[in-house]
Amino acid sequence: MSRKVRKEGYPSTRSELLGALHTKQYDEGWLSQDGLKAVSDDLNVPAAAVKGVATFYHMYHNEPMGRNVIQICTNVACMIMGAESLVDLLKKEYGLEPGGTTDDKRFTLVIMECIGACGTAPAMLVNDDFHENLDEKNIIEILNGYK
Amino acid sequence: MITVTINEKDIELEKPVTILEAARQGGITIPTLCYFEGLEKFGGCRLCLVEVEKLPKLQTACTVMVTDGMVVRTETDTIVKARRAMLEFLLINHPLDCPYCDKAGECDLQDLVALYGPDSGRFAEGKRQHPESFDDPIIVRNMERCVNCKRCVRMCEGVQGDSAITVTGRGSHSFIEPFSGGRYDCEYCGNCLTVCPVGAIMSRLHRHSYRPWFVEKEIESLCGFCGVGCSMVLQMRENTILRTIPRMDLGINKGLLCAKGRFGYDLVESSKRLTAPLVRKNGKLVPVSWDEALGTVAEKLGDIKGMNGGGLIAGIASARCTNEANYVFQRFFRETLLSNNIDSIARSFYIPAQNYLEGIFGQGVTANLISGIGNSDAVVIAGGDPTKINPVLGLQIRAAARKGARVISLSDSEGLKRFGSSQLISSAGSENILYGAVVRMLMEGSDVPGKNKALDEALQKLDAPKDKDVESRTGVSVADIGKAVDELKSAKNVSIVLGPDVLLRDGMRGLFLMASMIYLTDARVYLLSERPNEQGLADVGCLPDTLAGGRPVELSSFREKYEQEMGYAVPEKAGMGLFEMVEAMEKGSIKAAYVMGDNPVFNMPSSHRVRNAFKALEFLVVQDAFMTETAQMADVVLPAAIWSEKDGTFVNLERRIQRLHKAKNSVGGLEDWKIIVKIAGLMGSKMSFGSAKEIWEEICKASHLYGSLSYEDLESDKALWPYKGEPLRSGEAAVEVPEDHGTAPEVVVYADRSLFHSGSFSRYSAALNSIQSEPYAMMHSDLAGRIGVKDGDKVRITSGNSSLELVSMINDEIRDGSLRVPNVFEGVCVMSLIDYEPDDSSAINVQRTSGLKVEKA
Repeated sequence: MSRKVRKEGYPSTRSELLGALHTKQYDEGWLSQDGLKAVSDDLNVPAAAVKGVATFYHMYHNEPMGRNVIQICTNVACMIMGAESLVDLLKKEYGLEPGGTTDDKRFTLVIMECIGACGTAPAMLVNDDFHENLDEKNIIEILNGYK
Repeated sequence: MITVTINEKDIELEKPVTILEAARQGGITIPTLCYFEGLEKFGGCRLCLVEVEKLPKLQTACTVMVTDGMVVRTETDTIVKARRAMLEFLLINHPLDCPYCDKAGECDLQDLVALYGPDSGRFAEGKRQHPESFDDPIIVRNMERCVNCKRCVRMCEGVQGDSAITVTGRGSHSFIEPFSGGRYDCEYCGNCLTVCPVGAIMSRLHRHSYRPWFVEKEIESLCGFCGVGCSMVLQMRENTILRTIPRMDLGINKGLLCAKGRFGYDLVESSKRLTAPLVRKNGKLVPVSWDEALGTVAEKLGDIKGMNGGGLIAGIASARCTNEANYVFQRFFRETLLSNNIDSIARSFYIPAQNYLEGIFGQGVTANLISGIGNSDAVVIAGGDPTKINPVLGLQIRAAARKGARVISLSDSEGLKRFGSSQLISSAGSENILYGAVVRMLMEGSDVPGKNKALDEALQKLDAPKDKDVESRTGVSVADIGKAVDELKSAKNVSIVLGPDVLLRDGMRGLFLMASMIYLTDARVYLLSERPNEQGLADVGCLPDTLAGGRPVELSSFREKYEQEMGYAVPEKAGMGLFEMVEAMEKGSIKAAYVMGDNPVFNMPSSHRVRNAFKALEFLVVQDAFMTETAQMADVVLPAAIWSEKDGTFVNLERRIQRLHKAKNSVGGLEDWKIIVKIAGLMGSKMSFGSAKEIWEEICKASHLYGSLSYEDLESDKALWPYKGEPLRSGEAAVEVPEDHGTAPEVVVYADRSLFHSGSFSRYSAALNSIQSEPYAMMHSDLAGRIGVKDGDKVRITSGNSSLELVSMINDEIRDGSLRVPNVFEGVCVMSLIDYEPDDSSAINVQRTSGLKVEKA
C-alpha cells in the first residue's frame, strides 16, 4: 500500500514535503540518501532542505529499520505501569536494545514519547498498529503476530 | 517622518527600518551575531536584545521595526546581563579552542565574549563531540565551534540560491551539513565562508597558515577570470597571497564571489609557472637570458618583416591581458611591424556579436548595468547558462526570479532550473526554429514597432516556422512557447542574456533572431563574456580593421587623424581576422605569429587544423605564464606576469572600466607591456612607457571613447558607459535575414563551460582542480542508455581522425543528444572534435560537429 503524494492544491510543492517523506518511509521502511534524493527530485525541493527536515523530526527514520518497528512509550504513566520492565523483556527475549534492530531484521525498538494512552498504559505502536494494557505475557503474544 | 529615541538620542528616519538599522544610522552600535546585512532576518542569537519602553520584554533589534515615538535603550544593566547569559549558553558547547582556530582575531564570538561574556561557565556537563570534517577538498567544517546562527544556510539559500547546506538534527545536535553529510556538492561560491562568524566553516587553502595580524597589506583588486569583473581584496604577506576576501561594500559584486574568483587565486603561485625565457635550440626549448630571448624575437621578426613588410606576421592578443598590454601590443604591430593582423579569440563570439548588435541598435547597446537584471520582470536566456559562464551575473537573474520575474530559458541552464518558470529547450541543432517561433509569436497581433526601419523590413520578410514544424523539430510544445511569449509581452522591463552559443552554434540567424527579440520586447541586452577583458580588447584596437576608440583603419580620414594625434603611422589596409590568419598560415602567407596570453591551438575549434597551421610557421613567439599547448610549439617563450602581478585596467561586459592593482611581484615573468616595449625598442621603435598609468594616458588620447578618464577617475562612477561623452555611432546598419544553417545531428558536442574552470587557464589552480580534477563526458541518461554506458563508464568519442576517451558523467539536467566535455585539461582537447565553418559572411565562423561517433570504450 502506498500513499499518494499530493502536489496539487498547495501553494508550493514544499508544503507537501512532510507527507512525501512519510510516504517514502512507508514504502521503504526508512529514509535513505537515495530516498531523500528521490523526494527532492519529485517535489523540486533542494536535497539539503529535504534532509534538514528529515533529520529534524524523530518520526522519520534515518537508519535502516527492521521489518517491524516497535515503539514503546516510557513516559511517566507507562513507566509507572511497567513499561521499563517490558523494555528489559524485549532485550531478554529478542536481544533488542532501545534504538537497535534484531539480527534477523525482524524488529527495531524505538523508545517513544507519550502517545496519549495514559489511561490504558503501558502502550506501544507496532508499525501503525496501536496496542494498550500491555504486560509481560500479552506483549509476546502480540509480537508473535509480526514476522 | 519617524522619530525614535535611542539611548536618549533622537534619530529621524524617512521610512520604517529595524531598530538595529536605525541605531546604525544614528551611530549607535548594537552587538549582533546572527545578523548579516543582506540576509533574511533571523533573530536567533538574541545578542541584539534591547529595551523598548512600554514593552515588557527585551526585543531583538534586528527584527523589530521602529515606530514613531519609540524609546529604545541598548546598554542597560538588564541588557548586559541578558547578553552575558546568551553568550554563556553559546559557550556551553563551544570548544574554546581559540589558540589553534584560524578565526581567532577576527571572530565575532571571541569579540563579543571579550566585551560582555562571562569569565567562567557554570555548566558541568561535557561539551558535545563532533569530529571536524575533512571530507571536502576546500571547505573544512568544525561543527563543535558552530553557534547555529544559520548565516551560511541563509546565504546559500537566500542569496546564492544553491541551497546546498542545511541544519541537520535538532537541539544541541544541530549541525550544518551538505546533503551528503561529507563532501559538498555545490557551486563552491564560498560565500558561506564569508558569513561564518566563528571558525565553523573554514577554507582549507590557508588553514593554519595565517593569522589576521599576519596580513601586511590589503590590495583591492579585480578577479581575473570572467567578464563580470568582481572586486576582491587580496591579503598579502610579503610576496604571498594569504587569501582573497570579498568586501561587502566593494564593487559590483558586493561581496559575492564564485568558485573561480574565490579559490582560483593559487594558480599565480603554481609550480608550473614559467620562470625564465626559453628559446628553441636544436629542436628543444632551453632557458636563456631575457636579453637573448628578446634579441632573438626582434631579429627574427625583423627578418620576416624585411621579406615582405609586416603582412607576414600575425598577432593574437588576449582578453586575459589588460587594456594597457593590449594597446601596446597593437601599437607594436601597427607601428613597428607594419601589420594590422591583430585579433583574438574574442573573435569567436563577443566581438562579432557586439558589432552586429551595435550596428542595429547603436553603440553601447550592450553596456547595461548587471544590477539592472535584478530589477527586470522578465529575463530571457539563450546560448549558454549565465550561472556558469558569469556566475555573479547569474545571481542577479536568480534575484529577479525571487522577486517574481519570469525567467525564460531558451538554452540549457541548469543553474536556473529551480528559478525558471519556462524551460523551452529545443533539441540540439534546432534552436533557430525555436527562436523563430518566439519572434513570430511576439509579432502576432501587433505591428512592427517602427523604431528601426531596417529591422522592421527584415522582420516582415522573416519566414518563421509553422507550428507543426516547431513541435516536430524542436520538441517544444507550441502551447508552452505561447505561454512564455504572453508573459514576455506583458513584461515591462525585459533583460535578454545572450551566451556564446547564439552565435557559435546558431550562427548569424541566431543572432538576428535575438536582435529581433530585443527589438520586439524593448529589452536590455547582456552579452556573456568568458574572459575578463573582451570588451577592452576591442576598445583599445586589438582588431584587424579598427583602431582604438572604434575608428576604422581603412577610412583614410580616421586613420590620418589618428596618426596625427598619436604620432605613429598605421598600415592602410585592414589586417586579417583570427580565422583568416589560420588560413594564411596554411597557405604560407603568414610566416610568423606572436601570441600573447592565449592558447589558440587548444582553444580554437578544429584544433588539429589550427595546430598544423601553427606548425607551418617559420617563427612563433608565445608570451604566457604557463607552458601551454601553443607555447610548446613556440620558437621563443616569454614568461609573463599574470593577474595579481600586474597593474592596469579591464573593461567588463557592462563596459565598466575597472582597475587591476598589482599585489605582488611575479615569480619570473614580466608584465606583458614591458616585454613588448623592449622588443619594439630593439626594433627601432621610440615607444617608451614608464608605467601602466602612462599607457592608460596614451589610450585615452587614442580612444575618444574613454573621454580622458584618469586612473583616479576610474575608482568612481565615471568609469561607466558612456564615460564622459556620447556614443559615436547610432544604429543604422542594413539588416539581412540570414538563412538557417541549423542541423539536427544525433549527438552534438559542446565545450562544457564549467563553474569550476575557465578554459585552459584554470587547469593550473590546485584548488579548482581539487573540486574538479578530471575531464568527463557529460550526457543525459537517455543518450547513455542508447550507447549502453552507466555513470562512470568510459566512452569513446570519435570525429574524423580525432578521438577522446572519457569517463561518462550522467546528468539529466542537460538535454538529450548533447555531450559536454570541458576544454580544460591537458591532453583532452574537445576542440579537436569540433570543426568550424563560415556562416553567412566569411568573418563569422560557426562551430559544428558532424559524423560524431559515441560508443562505450
